[in-house]
Order: sequence, then C-alpha cells, then structure tokens
Amino acid sequence: MRASLEQDARYAAAAAEFGGVLQRLARATEADRERRRDLLQEMHVAVWRSLAAFDGRCSLRTWIYRIAHNVAASHVDKQRRVNRPWAGLESVEQLASAQNVAAEVEDNEAIERLHRIIRRLGPPDRQIITLYLEGLDAAEIAEVTGVSPGAVATRVSRLKAELARLFREAQNV
Amino acid sequence: MSDRDPLQTLWTAQEQEPFDMSLTDIHERAARFQSRIRQRNLVEYATGGIVIFAFGAIALETPDVGVRIGVALIILGVLYIHWRLATLAGAAAKDPSVAWAEFHRAELVRQRDAMRSVWAWYLAPLSPGAIVYIAACAFAPSVDLPFAARLAFALLGAAWVAGVFFGVAWLNRRRAEKLDAEIAALDHARE
Repeated sequence: MRASLEQDARYAAAAAEFGGVLQRLARATEADRERRRDLLQEMHVAVWRSLAAFDGRCSLRTWIYRIAHNVAASHVDKQRRVNRPWAGLESVEQLASAQNVAAEVEDNEAIERLHRIIRRLGPPDRQIITLYLEGLDAAEIAEVTGVSPGAVATRVSRLKAELARLFREAQNV
Repeated sequence: MSDRDPLQTLWTAQEQEPFDMSLTDIHERAARFQSRIRQRNLVEYATGGIVIFAFGAIALETPDVGVRIGVALIILGVLYIHWRLATLAGAAAKDPSVAWAEFHRAELVRQRDAMRSVWAWYLAPLSPGAIVYIAACAFAPSVDLPFAARLAFALLGAAWVAGVFFGVAWLNRRRAEKLDAEIAALDHARE
C-alpha cells in the first residue's frame, strides 16, 4: 500500500486529536494489557488506512469513532469465543457488589471499575455508553452507531442511571 | 445530555497509558497486514494442494476405477470448498466507515449464512466422493470378502461419514440460531 503525504498528514492530525479517544475505547474493550496494545495499534492502522478514502460525507469525528468502534467490535467478536458471555447491567451489578470496593473512591480504581463494567456489557450498550462518556450527544451517538436517536436517548438514560447507582452503592459499602 | 455527568469527567480525565506509534510503524504494520493476508491465502492453497496431492496419489496407485472416480470427486469437492471459502473471505472485506450497527449486522449475517448453508458449500460437495469411495473400497474386486461383509463395511462406512456430517451440520445450525437471535436483538435495539 502506497501512502500519500496527504493521508499521513490527515492521520497525524487525527491521531493528535483522537488518540485519547482510541486509547480509552481500547481500554474499555480489552482488559489484557498486551492484547489492548495490539488492539490500539490496529485502531491506529485502521484510521490511517481509512483516511485514504475519507470523503467528508460525515464529520471527521464521526468517521474516526465509526472506524474505532468497528475495529473494537471485530476484536470483541474474535475474543468472545474464549471469553465470558456478555451481561446485562443486572448481572454486572452482582459482579460489582462482589468486589472489595472500600478503596474505590480513588479515581484510578473508580475508572478501572468503570472499565470492568463496560467490558461486560453487550452490544449496543457498550458502544453507546462509551460514546456517551466521551461527551457525544444522542444524535452523534446515533450517527456513529446506526441506532436510532430515540433508542440511544432511552438507553443512555437507563445506562447512566444504573452506572450512577452502582457507583453510589460502591461508595456506601 | 448537556449537563456534564461526573462519570464523563472521570472518563475523559483518566490517565493515558504510554503509547507511541510513528508513521513508519503505521506503514510497516499496514504492510504486514497485507502480507499476512497473502500468507493466509498461501497456507489455504497449500493445505488444499496437500489434500489433492494425497488423494491424487491414491488415485494413481489404485487400479480400481471406482476408487479413482471416488477420489476424483473428493478432489473436485475440495476445490469447490476452497473456491467458496475464497468467495466468503472476499465478502468479509467490509467498509469500516459505516455505522457500527450496519458493520456488526453485516458480519453476523455473513457468519449466520455461512453456517446455515454449510450443507450446500461444505458437506454436499464432499458427499458424492465419500459415497463412491466407500462403495468402491467395499466392493473392490481385489478384496476377498463375502457380499454380506462388503455390504456391512459399506454401510458402516457410510453411517460413520453421515454421523460426522450430521454432527457438523447440527453444530453449525445451533450456532446459526444463536446468531439469528443476536441479529434480532440488534434490530430490536436499533429501533
């Protein structure tokens, strides 16, 4: 594959702007550090490759989120044959309450806890909640995921209420 | 969703792990990806070649016409399966810039269809060769056995092959049903 300078420049700008997004998504997708690093590299390569065909039919932000989420989805699809099945928030709650949560008020532990919960979620909840946490609104999430804006709004409302409750309970234990 | 959720703040402020990937790394990895695809194709062709060579050797060695026909049909079946696998792998090249649900659904449908049609593209092409081969081996003139023993050998062989084929089909059908449920759940979630 021959790289154009324009493609490289677009990628460099996209990596600078969305590198953190890709990293957070990789962490929410894969718990194992080595596999996570591979996934993140795969995301960067996919972004670079895709930018050769970027035609502006959607915003660059939507484009990058789509590429990243589709790479993550393929990764999950490959991994799920050996991993545990997905869970709804009800069973995630059991997982959470079984943890020693006394010290989880610390940000690092709280964020790791959040990642653990997200990794256990099935589609499309995992995609929707990570996009919500990145600060996208319902219309933007709908554009990235292909889920209707109404369904996104309903799911976001339910997911954030459940997450907030799980965190409140964890802090009260 | 205009109010900033504390979880959003926590999320976007999380510490980043050290990560550095230069443009050279990107180019190299993209090139490795292309070469991995070429290697995978080569391995698939080599595997097919070995099967064809092994069966071809049997066909050349044996004087029995029935066995030769059976082997030739198995080789044709293997060639057909390889062609179908190549077609299915080609269909797997999806556009990663489409919305996630479309991307995910296309992959689920592709897997489901491949599993649901395993009879058509995997088992059926091997069946004629397997049947002719077993029958030819059982009734080969060079084998000195009474008719009942030949018949029992042929039936047992056919039953064994049928058992394996039904097992493969049953496992694929169960997996296709699970994928169907996932597709339905995805469609429901999108609305």
